[in-house]
Amino acid sequence: MKATIERATLLRCLGHVQSVVERRNTIPILSNVLIDADAGGSLKVTATDLDLQVVENMAAASVEAPGAITVSAHLLFDIARKLPDGSQVSLETADNRMTVKAGRSRFSLPTLPRDDFPVIVEGDLPTSFEVPAKTLAELIDRTRFAISTEETRYYLNGIFLHVAEDDRPVLKAAATDGHRLARFTLDQPAGAEGMPDVIVPRKAVAELRKLLEEASDGNVLIDLSASKIRFTMGGEGGVVLTSKLIDGTFPDYSRVIPTGNDKLLKIDPRSLYEGVDRVATIATEKTRAVKMGLENDKVTLTVTSPDNGTAAEEVSADYSSENFEIGFNAGYLKDILGQIDSDTVELHLADAGAPTLIRKDEKSPALYVLMPMRV
Amino acid sequence: MVEEDEEDGDAPEAPIGLRKIIHVDMDAFFASVEQRDNPELRGKPVAVGGSGGRGVVAAASYEARKFGVRSAMPGVTARRLCPDLIFVRHRFDAYKEASRQIRAVFRHHTELVEPLSLDEAYLDVTEDKLGIGSATRIAELIRQEIRAKTQLTASAGVSYNKFLAKLASDQNKPDGLCVIRPGEGAQFVQSLPVRRFHGVGPKGAEKMAKLGIETGADLAAKDVAFLRQHFGSFAEYLYRAARGIDLRPVRANRIRKSVGGERTFGEDISSGLLLRETLDNIVDIVWESIERAEAKGRTITLKLKYTDFRIASRAHSLPHNVPGKTEFARVAHGLLEEMLPLPLPIRLMGLTLSNLEREGAEPERGRDEAQLSLL
Repeated sequence: MKATIERATLLRCLGHVQSVVERRNTIPILSNVLIDADAGGSLKVTATDLDLQVVENMAAASVEAPGAITVSAHLLFDIARKLPDGSQVSLETADNRMTVKAGRSRFSLPTLPRDDFPVIVEGDLPTSFEVPAKTLAELIDRTRFAISTEETRYYLNGIFLHVAEDDRPVLKAAATDGHRLARFTLDQPAGAEGMPDVIVPRKAVAELRKLLEEASDGNVLIDLSASKIRFTMGGEGGVVLTSKLIDGTFPDYSRVIPTGNDKLLKIDPRSLYEGVDRVATIATEKTRAVKMGLENDKVTLTVTSPDNGTAAEEVSADYSSENFEIGFNAGYLKDILGQIDSDTVELHLADAGAPTLIRKDEKSPALYVLMPMRV
Repeated sequence: MVEEDEEDGDAPEAPIGLRKIIHVDMDAFFASVEQRDNPELRGKPVAVGGSGGRGVVAAASYEARKFGVRSAMPGVTARRLCPDLIFVRHRFDAYKEASRQIRAVFRHHTELVEPLSLDEAYLDVTEDKLGIGSATRIAELIRQEIRAKTQLTASAGVSYNKFLAKLASDQNKPDGLCVIRPGEGAQFVQSLPVRRFHGVGPKGAEKMAKLGIETGADLAAKDVAFLRQHFGSFAEYLYRAARGIDLRPVRANRIRKSVGGERTFGEDISSGLLLRETLDNIVDIVWESIERAEAKGRTITLKLKYTDFRIASRAHSLPHNVPGKTEFARVAHGLLEEMLPLPLPIRLMGLTLSNLEREGAEPERGRDEAQLSLL
């Protein structure tokens, strides 16, 4: 293989794929990226961790000799980063080595054969639909913070996607860690009807979100089966992310979304966020709870720490139900409030031990449920 | 030999009533997983680990053990003992998956599970969840369930303390079960060679042989004062062990403080070259235990024992967890270089990783006690 490519192009592409490659690998070839130069003048770069695979095409300046090889992803990325801006990078293989040349720099890197590089077998992906890249990005942003990191409940380690017939056909995305839940609803895209319920793993979500950053216009093509999902993004040459899905059953989360909470608090999410943030300054590892005292048109936030004293702040609000107190994990509350881009947020409360529903308003595609803390 | 530091850092042992303890140990775990997943390896001598240069055998199949191949043995030595030995690479993901299944089987019977590594655990079944009552019956069920779920075999030892349960699991390996009933412990220990005692390595056994101690009975014949004179702080343990006494509880949430290993040499070492080679060897062995224990830590300590038994150690802490073996080796060598030249030859070298954070452990645990759950 011999090809020449703009340093900027190479860097951008490796930047996309290298984070898929785990830093610590017991299988050596998984540290590598597959570089495949075709006679048509393009380079295809593939990275995988066996569960997730990203393939990106980039235009080469020239391909002198087509061929394919694998080389350390992090090494090549680090080299590309340090090469001078604007340089042309030549990649050439000979004798189990790949020579990287740019300007006066020359690197000779060990390689492993392309045939040893594992490729995810997609199989048949019968469901196929498109979602605008911006919508997909918002879906991820609104839900990913609630994904569980607890490995014992592995089926919560991702975003759950499923279709439903509410008042209209919809596609819903949900994530929960057992303490809070985030759900995002959009009109069902054509082609999504009858799709299997799937759980997209956290790492795939994170990588996809990064790729969407640069694909903000246009649509993302989603193909899936019950075990695999593939996202195809436009952009120069295109990027394809394929991931295995989490093999598990997502709990029936709809039962934890409260419908009869009768106490409505309307408040400026920014003021509440900042107030919580301020009083939580004295919260320690053990006491992360912020107590909300609800009174007529006002909320009093308090934190009591055995070590650091007490803090309190009043925030004006729109509230006319009976007075009561409820505690929340300050971090969880801030995570949710940070999602609301509006002057008002609605908190639908029942009592100090019951789930609270939080949303911008009833038309909002995003909905959050937060379980209180005992205080 | 490799020693894993099992200190708990909390309260001293409390007297405990008669307990039912099971020690479960998978048979040639890594090698068996490889043979299970690759039929071509079945019935053949297999070693997991590096064959090249300074690679170390991480696990050997029973076919390989017949030739004298043992874990922690240099690959070249193993190859010499067994020319047909097939070396395969680690697949830690596969081992972790099997380990997860095994632990699920344990938790079916009790929450009091103390894993020692991926393939070994103590269980306290004094009050088992299913109310079976007989520890022997539970051990048999566990072995059957493990076989059904993983197609792997496990050996189990049943007794009334951890020391005896571990000895028992080793008694009828592979695929065996051994029960040491109350009242039989002291007698069981009597006939054992001291080498079988956890913590007694080849050098320790050699030293005991010189003192006329070959078996548990020989050891039991010595008084504490004699043992203290010759074995220092190790004496109490030996005194109890020789009588089959061990009061340590099974700790389900034991926090491991460090993982490390050390080697005592047949001959004293002083040459720089030999020291560096020895260190490489210890790095291999200790890194292996670190991966097996899924430990992540920041502090690396190098310990040397001079010929006059003085101990010198030097430690280095990274701002982050040690990311891989290369970095681990680099820091270890840096520590050694700082200690050179040595004032005296050394008879022992040890390396430890501490400041641990458990992989997959949630540092936020405990803080959520007052956090109510949705699901």
